[in-house]
Amino acid sequence: MAEIIPLTPGGASDPSEPFKESACKLHPQTMCPAFGALRVLARLEGAQPAMITDTGCLYGLTFVTHFYAARKSIVAPALGTAELSSGKVQEAATAAIAEAASEPNVSVIPVISLCVAETAGLAEELLPSSIDGKPVVLVRVPAYAIHSHPEAKDIALAAVLRRFVDRERAHEPGALVLVGEVFPADPLIIDGVLRKMGGRVLTTLPGRHVDELRLAGCGAAVAALHPFYRETVGVLRERGVGVVAGAPIGADGSAAWLRAVGTALELDEAVVEQVAAEEEAAARGFLASQPLKGATIMVSGYEGNEMLYARLLVEGGAHVPYVSTSIGQSMLTAADEAWLKAHGTEAVVYRKAIEDDKAAMARWRFDLVIGTTTLAAYAKELGIPSVYYTNILSVRPLFLAGGMIASLSFVRELMNRRPLYERMVAFFADADPGGTP
Amino acid sequence: MTIQLIRDISDSSSYWGASWVFGCFPDLHIVCDAPIGCYNLLGMAVTDYTDALPHMANLTPTSIREQDVINGTAQALVRTIDDLRSIGSLAGKRLLVISTAESEMISADHGSLVAQLDPEARFFWSQSLEQDEWTGRDRALLFAWEAYGQPFVTPGAPPRAANLVNIIGPSLGCFNAPADLHELRRLITGIGGEVNLVYPYEGSVASTPRLADAAVNVVMYREFGAPLAEALGRPYCFAPFGVFGTTAFLQELGRLIGADPARVAAFIAHEKRTTLQPVWDLWRGPQSDWFATVDCAIVAGRSYVVGLSQFLGEELGMKIAWSSGRPRRDDEPDNIEIRRRIHTKAPAFVFGSINEKIYLAEANARATHYIPATFPGPVVRRTTGTPFMGYAGAANVMQELVNRFYEMVFNFLPVEPIKAPGSPPQHVAAGPPAQSSAETMAWTQAATERLNAALEQVPFLARISASRALRLAAEQAARARGAREVTVELVEAAIAHDSS
Repeated sequence: MAEIIPLTPGGASDPSEPFKESACKLHPQTMCPAFGALRVLARLEGAQPAMITDTGCLYGLTFVTHFYAARKSIVAPALGTAELSSGKVQEAATAAIAEAASEPNVSVIPVISLCVAETAGLAEELLPSSIDGKPVVLVRVPAYAIHSHPEAKDIALAAVLRRFVDRERAHEPGALVLVGEVFPADPLIIDGVLRKMGGRVLTTLPGRHVDELRLAGCGAAVAALHPFYRETVGVLRERGVGVVAGAPIGADGSAAWLRAVGTALELDEAVVEQVAAEEEAAARGFLASQPLKGATIMVSGYEGNEMLYARLLVEGGAHVPYVSTSIGQSMLTAADEAWLKAHGTEAVVYRKAIEDDKAAMARWRFDLVIGTTTLAAYAKELGIPSVYYTNILSVRPLFLAGGMIASLSFVRELMNRRPLYERMVAFFADADPGGTP
Repeated sequence: MTIQLIRDISDSSSYWGASWVFGCFPDLHIVCDAPIGCYNLLGMAVTDYTDALPHMANLTPTSIREQDVINGTAQALVRTIDDLRSIGSLAGKRLLVISTAESEMISADHGSLVAQLDPEARFFWSQSLEQDEWTGRDRALLFAWEAYGQPFVTPGAPPRAANLVNIIGPSLGCFNAPADLHELRRLITGIGGEVNLVYPYEGSVASTPRLADAAVNVVMYREFGAPLAEALGRPYCFAPFGVFGTTAFLQELGRLIGADPARVAAFIAHEKRTTLQPVWDLWRGPQSDWFATVDCAIVAGRSYVVGLSQFLGEELGMKIAWSSGRPRRDDEPDNIEIRRRIHTKAPAFVFGSINEKIYLAEANARATHYIPATFPGPVVRRTTGTPFMGYAGAANVMQELVNRFYEMVFNFLPVEPIKAPGSPPQHVAAGPPAQSSAETMAWTQAATERLNAALEQVPFLARISASRALRLAAEQAARARGAREVTVELVEAAIAHDSS
């Protein structure tokens, strides 16, 4: 590991008043909620999305979907005042569905109904449930009613799962379904450990194929690796699939998760215990060095998995006083929140706005900020090493002992970059304020 | 009423266009009456990929929720403005409230409410359900002039000086604006003009009355901006493209600002020896011969379509296969038709947006070069070194095309990959199949005709390589089957394999 540079003492700021969320929540931090649905649906092979919305919405959502969901053409009807006021929404949706169905290689048509279509009242019973034998799946994701993009991922995944899940096939003993967009190597690593316990990973959702949705119903249990897939796990629960909350994160978390999975899959208790103990020992061996000791780190993300990340950092020795997320509180977030609160985290903020994160920035002195794009930009303006949450999380394994070692080593390196951040601030501090010369 | 269908929309709505104009003013704060998504997509996501701004600092949403859709957005608006005041975001700034498609859907017209809350504040009804971003930009520019400029200008006052020139148009979400603006400024000052105001890019609410100081306006884009120039009532011209187009522009602008014709001529002469020297050198070199042999398609804003068609088509003699400008005219292909044309026969060069790039990827059109020339699509164009407009633009575009030619030649040359010892066997896309024979194989006439027809679809420069690759693939397949001649079926199979 690189040379250790002195970090801010963790207890440097210790105000007596508890942290309060900002009274003004002017700028909620989330991508347009509907994008979550598009990301899940556009990536399905053979899916031709039809979006029912106005042109401004269409432009923005198509832009981001083409950029980071799929290189997939998107169909929509032109919806203006004329169409909306004369009750043509239904006809418009039907026309778009027909155009989508005319594409070669199309096997499913997700119809994504957005704010104006929902306000105008798009009726599901008047849409075809299939066209030319191709299933049509309506997904309602008005931004005004769903409050974050991860929660729209859940709605979209649950909608297609409900449609395609195989209800006939028997549950496969020992087979676990993973739910969560994770680093591609993570399911393989989890599968390797599960096999040692006598189980295996059946499939990971959201995926790229309708077959994966069909197969998911055959799992003996489902693990919601990310805590916002409430409807999705609900669909599987109705099918009699047991649900495991949380994820194999860090030393405490990995062992506890493996035991919970062992129970849910009814695996041999002694074998599970042995594997869990091995994983924990490997993790503890690395943690003995406490690579992040003395560092104060802020974690602010969108999808609730920032709590998993915060747990890793805390186990690595860091002080993580504040964690914020865009999703709402639920049973799936409870265990991680409780663990964090028991390990020095003072505030866990749900449905946060940038104003909450800025209040936290004023309250604590951070050595590293892992944040949303807006927050990371703000921290960089202050010369604090900071990275966009998704950029660092999505590019390396996270789970079990191996994931922990990869993630913590990277975080330690980030903090060594502080002089670069300070130098940039110093250089740009006296920039011409702008305006016409 | 027939329903129009859209594929991969190219033009945004007037809410976006207007916000991209108003968002340039540092002394204005915009409240958009919008659900969180309309705020985020514009203010935090897309503007980061079009303008490389981490976010729009002067935009705040009312964050319309379900209850607001039912009860109206007035409460949310009042709360938002109160909160902005309480954290000091409105200090020293004018407030502008702008409607969006969703707020218009529920008829949330806040003209009088905004006036009650703050007599200095304004409400902009964006008409986002009917109007596109170009109309939105135009209306925002006129609105800014009428609200913040005209009332503070003495009617009939003459220009402050005869050589003062405004540049109207560059704003957020305008592809390549910094580089084109830099070139335009260089041209204007080169012949003795003085740039008065770059509006709205470098403008503000406070500086808006100064629009009246200039004697001439240069409108940067044909797709929007001219209505403001008309309202200002001074002569105006559009930003130029190409060698001859730019020369004509300089002569006209020179007349409009009363520049000494000798000075204009001297500047042009100097440019020929400096900025334009690479155009002359590439024209005299073998590179320019290629321009006669290749075609291109242009999908971009109206200015880029007109300008590139003139420079590449009329000045360099390149074949313009087809083009589609924005806002689109009825006689130009929409995205459904553009996609069909690209899938059928992709030109050698496609100037366009991410949409065209996707269509090329769908068609596996490896012999076509895509060159970003418009939004949508994430691309950073913040330096001054990538102009399309003016003399520097002519040199830059020509240089870019020649470099793409070189790239194409490189990619089609045979390569023999070097394998590390023990590594798994590799497949290489370009180059001939590994196995071949020294002996010439017979081809049926139908097979030869089929090969020629297939090659007709390949851009000219790639044809030699493509013909070699297809020929070898078909002959290899024939040998594998022990056939004595290449049949049309074998050619079909080779073509299908190549395009998969």
